[in-house]
This record gives sequence, structure tokens and C-alpha cells, in this order.
Amino acid sequence: MSFEPRIVGFMCNWCAYAAADLAGTARKKYPPNVRIVRVMCSGRVEPALILKAFELGADGVLVCG
Amino acid sequence: METPKIGVYVCHCGSNIAGTVDVQQVVEFAKKLDSVVVAREYKFMCSDPGQNMIKEDIKNLKLNRVVVASCSPLLHEPTFRHAVQEAGLNPYLFEMANIREQCSWTTEDHEKATEKAKALVSAAVKRVRYHQPLETKDVPVNPATLIVGGGIAGIQAALEIADAGHKVYLVEKDPSIGGHMIQFDKTFPTLDCSACILTPKMTSAGSHPNIELMTYSEVEDVSGFIGNFKVRVRKKARFVDEEKCNGCGVCMEKCPWKAPSEFDLGLGERKAIYTPFPQAVPNIPVIDKEHCVYFLRGRCRACEKFCERGAIDFEQQDKIVELEVGNIIIATGYDPFDPTPIVKYGYNRYPNVYTALEFERLCNAAGPTGGKIVLRDGSEPKSVAIIHCVGSRDENYHRYCSRVCCMYALKYSHLIKEKTEADVYQMYIDMRCFGKGYEEFYERLSKEGVKFIRGKVAEVTDRALTDEEKGKLIVCGEDTLLGTVIRVPVDMVILCIALEPRSDAKQVAQLFRISQGADGFFIERHPKLDPVATMTDGIFIAGCCQGPKDIPDTVAQASAAATRVLSLISKGKVELEATVAVIDEEKCSGCRVCNILCPYNAITFIEDKEVSRVNEALCKGCGTCVAACPSAAITHKHFTTEEIMAEIEGVLV
Repeated sequence: MSFEPRIVGFMCNWCAYAAADLAGTARKKYPPNVRIVRVMCSGRVEPALILKAFELGADGVLVCG
Repeated sequence: METPKIGVYVCHCGSNIAGTVDVQQVVEFAKKLDSVVVAREYKFMCSDPGQNMIKEDIKNLKLNRVVVASCSPLLHEPTFRHAVQEAGLNPYLFEMANIREQCSWTTEDHEKATEKAKALVSAAVKRVRYHQPLETKDVPVNPATLIVGGGIAGIQAALEIADAGHKVYLVEKDPSIGGHMIQFDKTFPTLDCSACILTPKMTSAGSHPNIELMTYSEVEDVSGFIGNFKVRVRKKARFVDEEKCNGCGVCMEKCPWKAPSEFDLGLGERKAIYTPFPQAVPNIPVIDKEHCVYFLRGRCRACEKFCERGAIDFEQQDKIVELEVGNIIIATGYDPFDPTPIVKYGYNRYPNVYTALEFERLCNAAGPTGGKIVLRDGSEPKSVAIIHCVGSRDENYHRYCSRVCCMYALKYSHLIKEKTEADVYQMYIDMRCFGKGYEEFYERLSKEGVKFIRGKVAEVTDRALTDEEKGKLIVCGEDTLLGTVIRVPVDMVILCIALEPRSDAKQVAQLFRISQGADGFFIERHPKLDPVATMTDGIFIAGCCQGPKDIPDTVAQASAAATRVLSLISKGKVELEATVAVIDEEKCSGCRVCNILCPYNAITFIEDKEVSRVNEALCKGCGTCVAACPSAAITHKHFTTEEIMAEIEGVLV
């Protein structure tokens, strides 16, 4: 079986999260490997959260804002 | 912590979710999750039966946490929070899993979509366990309103709010209100005289007991938030005492110094002490320091000598006024596009190439020619070409359509035909006559002998090829309907210039914390469903600062903005989000990192305690301070580190 990475995406409620919604509204298809965690600002994403994601087995972390 | 009893509700959203995600499987998965007491599915969870299902379960099964897996929380979080609250639960004990926008709509593979939906549900369930009940706070709304811009939009909004009995501060940077509309001659399609319909409104605004007119003034600083803004306004020195001046006009009569009139776009002159036009509101002149010989050379003071009221005050200084308002309407209008860079159209090279706004003044009975349509040499033109889309629908300048040019071009045709014997040529790309009565106006003009030539004009030149062209301006281009190259010799050319964002739109946007689109106009909250609000609560936009529009649309938008403000005033309070940051003063080391980082200046340092404190009314709940605090002394309510970590754990099942 091919490698399926698990990616955690921290997305700002006002821009990236809304953009991810818009991608859905526009029915844009993308791989389901990215799992989005909503934050109120990308400034909220402290290093500990990113490390936590890696610790729990994430292969990649996206911070969008 | 009480034992969590979680209910999970998975929505089909018709086939929007269920068409891709195996909802049944997700429900079975949810049932096995820790603390989940009940998991159900329904066609439309947001409908009344769907919401009732949740409410019943809260009551019967004593649920204390609820998860709904459906669409985006940006869409229906308020709906479900409300439902949960109605069943007696704190609305913050609810969490949403976005399995539509961010799962079923973006994933092709049904199996993988189902797996992702399970992960998102698991994340919500793990997270909701940590949710705490939170209380929202109400703050009162100051019933006073600031309106920035005294054009037709600002005047309309001011009158609506003032007539409803509330205080309005109307700030205008020029010496008089009236905006662009007062410069126009007639208005399409009714051919009403612009001044005749606007001056009564200007007078009402000027004399209204609830409107405080602040002309020749600019907003310098804005702080605070919806319901409670603090605004600093600079009242520029007029050098005329507003209290003493009775607007008799003797000063203007006696002033020996002249300058080009901004109001007439340099086509006429005004004095160094002036009102922009005779019907100015307020009817109080200003002294233009750049042209007043007393300011330049220290001699003259003729105005002072003749002013019986002693209103001239050469020592007057700018005045700073602090205002407190609950809401703000921005109605700063537009700038007319300067066609000089389009060298091929000859503006500023050939004297008889005019912009549309210059033509308005030329045509106006109160304008520099007394309403006579004449060339620079004073003779009447025998032929006029009106070139459409100058700077609009042009990827070198503005891609957008300026929406008003086709109609004012038709209006000009009518006025030229009415006042002169001239032939009129309309050089258009497409005729866009979309408003009420506009198509009829177009048809009417088609019968008035106006020649319509379809095609973008390539050049305006004075290089004559035939005797007939000598001494004329030759408009060259292609008639795309006939498929031929054309040369039209005319005496006068009018350029239908674009409406563009104000040159200081960027500074205004930053000042009021609102956004601009790619075209530079201010962005509304939603292009269809919320065209007057902005992303900043309590700040509304109206008129051409939001995009080019005609007078009826501007008035409608201004009234809409006023209505939004009035509904906030009549409600009297606004609810502040509970998801703010709080600082544990025991843990705070007083390093002040958060003070500097807070984008909303919501954190202050308490000197005597040597700790920082968050002003909940100013905090927008972004959490930047939480991430930055080296002592982990700050908690982000509803986005605690525990809650986010639980969510991460959930998405990685």
C-alpha cells in the first residue's frame, strides 16, 4: 500500500478556514489526508501544538493564516 | 469536572453529505466513542425536527455536551448554539464537526470521505469534553453616529438617522457638503437638475438639530469597538470664525486675489477666500493659504477690513475634536480617473478634449460658462465625440465597468442636442443601460439623431488627412459592426472617465480597520447578503467607496446603512464574544510581551501590581498572546491548549 501521510492543518477562522470552506462550496477536490483544526488566528498556534501533532503521529503540519 | 454525557448528531444534508459519506457508519463509530451517550442521524439537522431531536435528548438523556456533524460552523454554529441554549444547556457546551465543506464536498473517494468524517467527529467529541460554560457580556451602544463623507450617501444616511432622533456627526474634508453630485448638471434618466434635488437635502443636513456638521475636517484616529468608538477629528483652520460669519459674501467680493476653482475643475476661478459654490453648506468661506496674499507676503487683509462681523481670524489654528460614537458609516465616495496617462486620447494635449466631470461644469448653468457648451475659444462646437470606457473595462487601468458612464454619455448627447446644433457621436463598446427607466432613455436618445459607433477608440489626433479634417480633432478607431476603420473629425471630445477608489482609500481602510478589494474599493461583509456592513462590527459603508454606482443605488445603500445603525441603536446593546483571553495574575511575570503583540491593544500593564490585564471589550479572542506568553499565564477561553490538543488527538485517530 502506498504511503498516506497524515497532515494536521491549523487554520485561521477568518481567512484560511473560510477559504477551506470556499474550496468545498466550489466543490474543489483535494486528498482527504489533511485534517483541519480551527483556531481564531494563526497567531494562536504555539510550538507546543505543532509538536503535539507530531508526537501523536502526524507526518506533516500546515499552519495557514 | 462533571461526567460528560455527549450526544452526537450526524446530518445527511440531503445528499450533500450522505451522497459521499456513509452516515450510518459514522453514527456507529460515534456510539463507541468515550462518553457518548447517544448518536443519531437525520436528513436535515438544522431543520426544526432536527433541532427538536437534539433538544429532546438533552432533556430526556440529561446530555451535558452536544456535537453536531454537518456543515461549517461559520454557517450553522449560531443555529445549534441557540438550540442547545433553548434546551437549557450553556451554548458553549457544543461543538461542530465540519463534514460537508471540508469533507464530503472536497473528497471523491467515498470510503476515505467516511474515514475523514469519523476523524472529524472524534476530534469534536474529544474536544467538547473540555468545554466550559461561558457567559457573553452585553455592552451598551452609544446612540451617536459618525458619518465620514458629505456626498449624497453621507447626507442621506445622516438625515435618516437624525430624523429618527439620534445624534449624527457628519465629517467632510471639503469646505462644503454636496460631494460629486452637486457638481453635476442634470441627472439621468429623469433629467432632474442635480442641484435642485440635492440642495434641499444639504440645507436640511446643515440645519438639522441632530446633525453636527464638521466640514473642512478629517478623521485622524479611531479606537474602540462596536457601540463604543472614540474618534479624533481635525477641524482644519478656515481662518473664518464660524460663530461670527453670517455668510454675507462681502469678503469674497472684496478679495483681490484669484485661484483656479477646484469645484469647476480649473475651468473657472474663485477668490483666495471662497466657498466652493454659492449654495455651499455651511455658507462659511475658507481662506486658501496657498493663494492668500496676506499669508504669502504679509499684506492685504482686505477681507478683514470689509467684514462687518469681525469674523476673519488670521490666527486661527486647527482644532482637534474628540467624539464618542456607537457606529460609523463610511461614505467617502470616489475619485474621477485622470485620463492624462492615456496619451492617445489627447487629454491635456488638445485643449478641446474634456473629461466628463469637466463637461458637467461646462453644461451647468451655474458653471464657468453659464451653461453654454463652448470650446476653449468660446465658439460653439459643431460636432462632439463622446468616448466611453476611458479607464474602465481596460486591463491597463481598471478592469471593472464604472456603471454610470453609458447613462451620463446618453445624458450629454441629449444636453448637447438641446443646447447646440452639433452632431453627436457615441463611441461605445457595449451600451449598458440596466436601471429603472434606463433602457427607455437609451431608446429615446436613439431617436434624437445621435450616432452610435461601436468599437474602442484607438486614438484622438489633430493630424488631418483631408481638408475636411483640418483644424479638427479626429477620432480614429474601428466600427466593429461595419468592420471598417473610421476617422471622425469633431470639434470637441468628451472622455467618459472611470470612477476609481479615492487616492487615500488605503489610509482610510487602515484607519477604520476595513478591507479593500483588488480594485481598491472597500469590501462589504458579503457581496450579496450583506452589502453595507464590513468585517469590522459597527462600521458600515455606503456609496461609491464600495464600488461605482449611480445615485439611486447610492441613496438605497446609504439608507440601508442608516437602517443597520438604527437597529443597533434601538437594540441598545451588543453582545461581546465570550471567547476572550484571560490572564492569571498569579502566573504573570509582568514581562509585557503580550502588551506589544496584541493587535487590538487590548492588554494593559497594571503598574502597581506589575501584571498585564486583558480588556475583554477590546479583546477579539485571536489568542496570539496565549501562544506568546512565556509563563503560560494566559488562557484562551473556548480555545484552551487542552481543547486544541484534544482536537489534534481526535483528528489523528
